[in-house]
Amino acid sequence: MKDILDSALAATLDRLILCLMLLALAGVLTAAMGFQYLDGEIPCPLCLLQRVAMFACCFGLIQQLRDGGSQRGAGIAMIFAVLLLVISVRQTLLDIVPRPGHAYIGPAVFGVHMPVWSVLIAVALLIGFAVRLAVLGGLRSAPPPERSMLPRLSYVLGLYVAILCAINLLSVLVQCGFGQCHTTGYALLR
Amino acid sequence: MMFAIFAFLTIAFLLEFLGRRGPALICLAASLGLTLYLFAWEIYSPDYGFRMPWLEVELEERPAAAGGA
Repeated sequence: MKDILDSALAATLDRLILCLMLLALAGVLTAAMGFQYLDGEIPCPLCLLQRVAMFACCFGLIQQLRDGGSQRGAGIAMIFAVLLLVISVRQTLLDIVPRPGHAYIGPAVFGVHMPVWSVLIAVALLIGFAVRLAVLGGLRSAPPPERSMLPRLSYVLGLYVAILCAINLLSVLVQCGFGQCHTTGYALLR
Repeated sequence: MMFAIFAFLTIAFLLEFLGRRGPALICLAASLGLTLYLFAWEIYSPDYGFRMPWLEVELEERPAAAGGA
């Protein structure tokens, strides 16, 4: 009986951690789009690639939440968290020395620029996955309790992220067309 | 290229929600491949290659040791 309770508790805790990660990423992506559409900050190509890594990380989290019987989704999310780290570190290093033509793009939030935030987000994600594995082990998730809100919450969050991704697809089409992306303006609005 | 990356990603989300996990993973892999290619293309410089010379330091010229061997 105790094992069953522990298993149900562990499954709920597992879903809670994954949902929090998904919620955090959805918030970050929403904020990034807010800066783009409300403040007129046109994202650079590396910024867009960081969004891709975040969306794909969300994809892994969604898959993990939908199918707790395997750790594939978590693995996918970790791959893209590492990709996010690589891209954001490279962009941070690109602009770390002020010189003509190179400066951090976008406003500083709490004194920290966007690519540096991306580094922190990627590290936080990787720490989150490490803590999840350390605390819960290689969990084969038990089905969530029947009255749990988490499955519905994860479904709504997943749908929200998928809609954000579709909006970004249209946005990229307007900004870059089918060619190279620039921060000077929206290619299709010229 | 960026449009193709986001297109594959959006299709992957769509297929995942439709329960077509295999094709969704293929689309995600395609998106990953294109992302890696575009990332390498973006950071490559004809002058520096993939190096970052603005981060490199040069050895300070040391004064010759007095009465050196």
